Amino acid sequence: MGTVHAKAQTENVNSVGGGLFDFEEPETLEEAIPKPTIKLNGVRARVDRVHVDGLSRTKDDIVRSAVDELFHATDFEDVILKAHKVRRSLDSLGCFKDIGVFIDVSNGPGATPEGLEVTFQVRELTRIVGGINTTVSENEGNLVLGVRLPNVAGRGERVSAEYSVGHRSSSNFSVAATKPFTRSALQPVLTTSVYQQNHEYPWSGYRLLDRGVLLDIAFRTSPATKHNLQWEGMVRDTSVLSKTTSFKVRESSGPVLKSVIRHIVTVDHRDESIFPTRGTWVQFSSELAGLGGGVANIKTELQAEANKEIVPGFVVQLTGAAGVLHDVFGTELPEFFYLGGPATLRGFQQRGAGPHCDGLATGGTMYWASGLHLYTPLPFQPGKGGLGELFRSHLFLNGGCLAHPEENSQAIIEALSAVRVSCGAGVALRERGRCACAGSATGCLSALLVEVQKGPNLIHIIVLMKQM
Amino acid sequence: MPEMSLKDSIITSLSAQEPWPDNVKLFQPYEVEQILLPDNASCLAVQAFLKMCNLPFDVEMRWNAEFMSPSGRVPFIKCGAFVVSELEPIVQFAANKGVSLCSKLSTEERAEMRAYMSLITNVLVNAELYISWVDQETFNTVTRVRNSSVYPWPLGWIQTRSKRNSVIKRLKALHWYDKTLDQVLADVEQCCNSLSQRLGDRDYFFGTPTELDALVFGHVFTIITTRLPCRKLAETVRQHDSLVALAKRIDEKYFKRA
Repeated sequence: MGTVHAKAQTENVNSVGGGLFDFEEPETLEEAIPKPTIKLNGVRARVDRVHVDGLSRTKDDIVRSAVDELFHATDFEDVILKAHKVRRSLDSLGCFKDIGVFIDVSNGPGATPEGLEVTFQVRELTRIVGGINTTVSENEGNLVLGVRLPNVAGRGERVSAEYSVGHRSSSNFSVAATKPFTRSALQPVLTTSVYQQNHEYPWSGYRLLDRGVLLDIAFRTSPATKHNLQWEGMVRDTSVLSKTTSFKVRESSGPVLKSVIRHIVTVDHRDESIFPTRGTWVQFSSELAGLGGGVANIKTELQAEANKEIVPGFVVQLTGAAGVLHDVFGTELPEFFYLGGPATLRGFQQRGAGPHCDGLATGGTMYWASGLHLYTPLPFQPGKGGLGELFRSHLFLNGGCLAHPEENSQAIIEALSAVRVSCGAGVALRERGRCACAGSATGCLSALLVEVQKGPNLIHIIVLMKQM
Repeated sequence: MPEMSLKDSIITSLSAQEPWPDNVKLFQPYEVEQILLPDNASCLAVQAFLKMCNLPFDVEMRWNAEFMSPSGRVPFIKCGAFVVSELEPIVQFAANKGVSLCSKLSTEERAEMRAYMSLITNVLVNAELYISWVDQETFNTVTRVRNSSVYPWPLGWIQTRSKRNSVIKRLKALHWYDKTLDQVLADVEQCCNSLSQRLGDRDYFFGTPTELDALVFGHVFTIITTRLPCRKLAETVRQHDSLVALAKRIDEKYFKRA
């Protein structure tokens, strides 16, 4: 029974880790122990020595502190569990390509009777990793060149740079330097990046050119709770897309300096981030702009998601989001909330809901959105257990409201009750760690609308009915 | 995604022929703390032109007028759904609505007027840009302060730098950047000479006010009334009494600020 027990424990540890690191478990290690009659937690053991093979660039001190825990093991089961944990924390340093664990009875001088030797065989990442790929985003095709220098200074620091050129001759770049502090409490990771980004919003008729600096400290207060503390300073250049753009949009052109402090807390109890079958996910972000710069506002946003499997394979997902923006001064169109599109209010055109001026979305200061989704296996389950697992049928009903009300409670309630609803069906496709959607579906009220939508991680072709 | 349909563009061109509405606004930078010499000259020229045409408008000052303008230059007017910037397109736009100051002029006179107008844009505008952005003293004490006055630090510094670079790029392309201040003033002198010769002792260049008068007024009035550490430009222009008199005449007739 020992093996089984040990494995069950390991899995438990794994799930608490909550998909922290996508780590392939070498099942053979634990299962290689031959006789199932030995109770592993009854075998007294102590780790005499730990070897780490294959280190060249990585500094000893971070490895030493990562493996230190192993020496506190008192029985064999403990050794295995701790070895697994250490392996995981070594992996999280981001210095190694792969890590093997080998446990042997210790011998030689200084060996104790119950002594063990644990050997980690590691392979370090190459000094430089590069890549070229192409992406197609909402309205542009991009060529992306990326370079990454993992483990630059031997303590898990990395530098990455990305440069992308779009076919509309817009160029974006970002350079980021990351340093993990694995030995201090909460294990914060500090990231500094410098970027230039072009965004075009044809639905609102403006174009943004952001140049800025972002400082980010990420840490976890529990395995499922992640915090990000950020400061961002940027120069945002807004310009209109055409001569006929609405004057309201034109009024917000020009460069502004913005300085923002942001706190994002994410609690993720889902079993998977794509097609989860159970668990909840909550993200709460608060932003304070105006410590320096020409824009001052307070922005809060809450997003949540709950999943439940009602019948095997049938997952109901309930989502909700809400946000409030309070303008102090200088808040222009790009700061506002927008609603509509697959990421916010599926079934609507991008930024299709909420205040418009001359056919252009001008955004609002308050919104809420909620949705009910049902993910099921494909009808008749073609390719079950194989290719078919990448697909789900998707039924949705969502509604929401975006408003730009005056600051008085009556008007706010009135404005936020003008709900816009859409429902429809489609097929969702999982695509290498991301999720894309494609498909077709059911009927409609007056006209048949076929829309192709692409969100950050979803492509959706849907036929839907709308209540306008 | 908003699309400009054929229907829209037809409506646009039809409504362009409608009469001048009452709610026309002229957008320009802040006069007191922000506007620079060349911008002020062109804003004044457009205002003078609209006043000569008797077209009603309101002046609205915005810190980002330059960025709101479709051509990136001030001033611009908003007339219904239309946004038109700079003097010549505005003159065209008014002509489309049936308002023109040079309808009585012969073809030769019109050509002459155009020639003088382009002389001004080629000489006076460049000289103003040169004084504002290349002359170190003026740049440091006036241009830099005024241009960055509407931005928080360090954006003001960045914006002034990038604007200076683009002005210098323009002047380099026109071979004005290599000139010394004296050469620039000599060019201005020559330009003023030919203008005052053409004007002679008439009240206006072509008898009645035209856009050329508006343009000359804009530049001459701005140059002689703006206080700059470099007084040489103002002194050069001031020597031409007929031009100064023209500027004063137009100022009194159209800009009697009660």
